[in-house]
Amino acid sequence: MKYPQHILPTEELALVKKAQAGDDRAFTQLVKQYENLVYSFAFKVCRDKEKAEETWQDTFVNVYRKLHQFDGKSKFTTWLYSIVTNNCRMKRRKTKLETASIHIDKPHSAYDHDEADDTGTTALTVPAWRDTPLDKMMNAELKSKLDAAIQKLPYDYRVVFVLRDVEGQSAEETGKILKLTVPAVKSRLRRARVFLREQLNEYMTA
Amino acid sequence: MKKKHLSCKEIAKHICGELDEHIDSPKCREIKRHMEACPNCTAYLDSLKKTVRLYREYPNPTVTEQCRKELFAVLELGKQKSR
Repeated sequence: MKYPQHILPTEELALVKKAQAGDDRAFTQLVKQYENLVYSFAFKVCRDKEKAEETWQDTFVNVYRKLHQFDGKSKFTTWLYSIVTNNCRMKRRKTKLETASIHIDKPHSAYDHDEADDTGTTALTVPAWRDTPLDKMMNAELKSKLDAAIQKLPYDYRVVFVLRDVEGQSAEETGKILKLTVPAVKSRLRRARVFLREQLNEYMTA
Repeated sequence: MKKKHLSCKEIAKHICGELDEHIDSPKCREIKRHMEACPNCTAYLDSLKKTVRLYREYPNPTVTEQCRKELFAVLELGKQKSR
């Protein structure tokens, strides 16, 4: 199979080709190369260690069985992310978590009630968040707040937020992974950010 | 025609969407001007940026050796087999 050189670096290309040809050592090497990317992404989406482990295993079992389908037209990571997101989605269906999510079609926002008057003057109605360096704030209580907030976010928005803002994927790559248009990615990202900000606002201004 | 100024709500919509992008269009220059004079928008943008940074800085667990062993056992890696 021929791959476009700009998609896969030479070493990775050789490894994928070997694994596709049935070389288990090459496949093991691929697992080692991407295991933490897959695990950390699965955890960020599931927010549950046990589910992340199951998703991690399911993903690599799928990769092993479907590696011959990878045609090199996308980045290998794009292909991997799409397998992880499908596994996470299926796991949610099984546990019926979809029903626990709330709708965010019209997220609450500090700006729903706040407009400048005719003179352009605005009352200070948006309280500033704490100035403590965020890395120094990261304790068990804050982690639990972050987990609770993102778990309320519907899956379709959560996965966009994690891919774009946490994993640093471009809007185009995120669109390819989730089969969404770039405007749809941007719209979901905006809503997700606003929703999470609202969820954390009380804690961060207390 | 009288130029319509952006409201805080419109500003919020745009800064949310453009947090990670370079802004240099006329509309975005107006947003910047508005931001300089609006403490609410400044506080709001800061809180959005902090929201994203909090999730980026959340430490993630790494794969355990046990997970790896289980996967390799499921796939029977290292044994003679046909895929």
